[in-house]
Amino acid sequence: MDFRFSEAQTALRDSVRAYLDDAHPPALLRRLDRDGPDPSIWRGLAKMGLPAALVPEAAGGLGLTLVEGALIAAELGRANLGDLLADTALIAAPWLAHHGDTGALADIAAGTRRIALAHKINPWIADLDQADAVLTAAGLVPPPSTKTRLESVDPLRRLFTPLSIAHADDLLLNLAALMTAAQMLGATERMLAMATDYAKTRKQFGQPIGAFQAIKHLLANVAERLEFARPVVWHAAYALHHGHPHAPTHVSHAKLAATDAAMLAAETAIQVHGAMGYTYEVDLHYWMKRTWALAGAWGDQNFHQQRVDQAIIGGLLPIGPGTTFSSEDQHA
Amino acid sequence: MDLQYTPEQTEFRAEVHAWMASHAPKFHNLPSLESRVGYDAHVAWERELATGNWGMVTWPEKYGGRDLDLIRWLIFEEEYYRADAPARANQNGIFLLGPTIMEFGTGEQKERFLPPMAGGEIVWCQGWSEPDAGSDMAAIRSKAIRDGDHYVITGQKTWSSRAAYADWCFGLFRTDPASQRHKGLSFILMPLNTPGITVRPIRQLHGDTGFAEIFFDEVRVPVENRIAAEGEGWNVAMATAGFERGLMLRSPARFQRTAQRLVDLFRAHPNPAPGLRDTVTKSWMDAEAYALNTYLVASTIEAGGRIGAEASMNKIFWSELDRRMHRAAVSLLGAAAELRADPAITAWLDGYIFSLAGPIYAGSNEIQRNIVAERVLGLPR
Repeated sequence: MDFRFSEAQTALRDSVRAYLDDAHPPALLRRLDRDGPDPSIWRGLAKMGLPAALVPEAAGGLGLTLVEGALIAAELGRANLGDLLADTALIAAPWLAHHGDTGALADIAAGTRRIALAHKINPWIADLDQADAVLTAAGLVPPPSTKTRLESVDPLRRLFTPLSIAHADDLLLNLAALMTAAQMLGATERMLAMATDYAKTRKQFGQPIGAFQAIKHLLANVAERLEFARPVVWHAAYALHHGHPHAPTHVSHAKLAATDAAMLAAETAIQVHGAMGYTYEVDLHYWMKRTWALAGAWGDQNFHQQRVDQAIIGGLLPIGPGTTFSSEDQHA
Repeated sequence: MDLQYTPEQTEFRAEVHAWMASHAPKFHNLPSLESRVGYDAHVAWERELATGNWGMVTWPEKYGGRDLDLIRWLIFEEEYYRADAPARANQNGIFLLGPTIMEFGTGEQKERFLPPMAGGEIVWCQGWSEPDAGSDMAAIRSKAIRDGDHYVITGQKTWSSRAAYADWCFGLFRTDPASQRHKGLSFILMPLNTPGITVRPIRQLHGDTGFAEIFFDEVRVPVENRIAAEGEGWNVAMATAGFERGLMLRSPARFQRTAQRLVDLFRAHPNPAPGLRDTVTKSWMDAEAYALNTYLVASTIEAGGRIGAEASMNKIFWSELDRRMHRAAVSLLGAAAELRADPAITAWLDGYIFSLAGPIYAGSNEIQRNIVAERVLGLPR
């Protein structure tokens, strides 16, 4: 039992963070908002080897686990990276590995195939115009020849129809909900950092507004919510990777906890920014809008809360002291 | 990251489970720890624990412990709460003073104070707050003036948990009368029956007397009862407060047990409100989040890390969770909740009353939020 990340895991996180800080700054978000997708972003990510992260070594990948995947996803959320990296590398790759589609995996590892995700739970497919294939419950299919763009609240999200999906796929849903939760952790960190920086520099009544207890307590509440959402997400990643029978409950818990933290961070960050937070001029809005979009994506609060409810009130999951890590329940 | 128990850890769990199963039931449903008769019964449980060498499993064997790591302490706590074992009468000693002596005490002090603490022979209370030094603890005025190889202590402490019945007291006193604020304080221990000490119990919200005022009138205490150097008291007390807010005082198993009982209570209700259903589900999630975070912190400390100001977030989180869970239970119980008839119902109401103290003791949650804002986020003081 050791809940710490390994040195290799923290080194991976740090290198992804350093790369994205440099290659994917807020100024780039403004340019993407104005000019649309930039193919050089994917080329950079592919050069970093990120598409290969979760592809098994036998298929030319790095063979990392969903825990590393969640760490990478958090960094994508922190940088507000849209694109198809999470969908391709962190969700489609482990799904395909589970189903043994080695040909597609080799292409993903090489950075030559980008995959969009189609699932009944969402009324859209994200980034379909950039995708080489679409992953459905039945496996990979070619993108539809005609598609219609939908407008998202998030100007950096590119959503499309049509969806033609016969049935839902639980593994796809759980992988995507997990990685969405991890992205929201990163978004929460970023919004908290932006609001904290603003509170340190913005002066009223002759002092930084961050010296006032009213502001301190708002931000402390976000830090607290984030602190207790993180390990829930890491645990869900671990449980899903190891195929624990109750992993879906842990994934739903992770999605709920991360959404809760991110929504609080967004509402707090705009409050701390005051009227500036209500403008298009301050970078904050890109993270707030991504948060609102992801909150409903891959299972909204209704869906995930009901899944947890069925497990807990419905008595499917053993609860109480000593049950946290024991889907194998030592002595029931 | 490895989230599986080793075979040794699983074996240890079975050992604790078996011992608790055969010893704890005799101590179920004790009277309140904050009454004379209840206190004595809880101290008897401390001594029962000591017969199994369970006083404080993380301490070195020579001090009455088992030399175990923090993961095993968490396992111990899980089995402890599964068995519905009683509250720890000596929690001020084992969870706060014990770790403090371990870190700052001399070898002689460790040998003198730790074994009787682990054995439940000496029960400790704390003397930090004063009438004018509550949240602002650096405003402490009680003086300890050096006179040869003794301190002469004069002043008053208050809200001293367990002082109504405890044996010894630890606290912060101003050893440099000219000093201000955090400087010139020392951390001193003394028996409560020392001449010049008067303990005046305070009747609490629920009617019992758990905490007390302590008056010191030229109380002579040997210098060897001081922990760490003279004038270093503030740093020692901050470390102790860190233990209190951090890992030790409230282990996650306590809240997981409450959440589990709340789920049972909800299931037994014929027609519960939908809003309470959400609160119950959320309680389980939050208790799990607290457990997961505690395993993360324990893993970090085991690898040589330390608890920093993040400990303040723990205290906010568990105290507010505890209050939410008990309020939900009282809501589910409805009109029956006010009746002091059925012990199972009364336990929820008493739990709710006690949960209201959680956001106040060990540093109010407002102070904790200041600490998080200033020391974790770096906002200006």
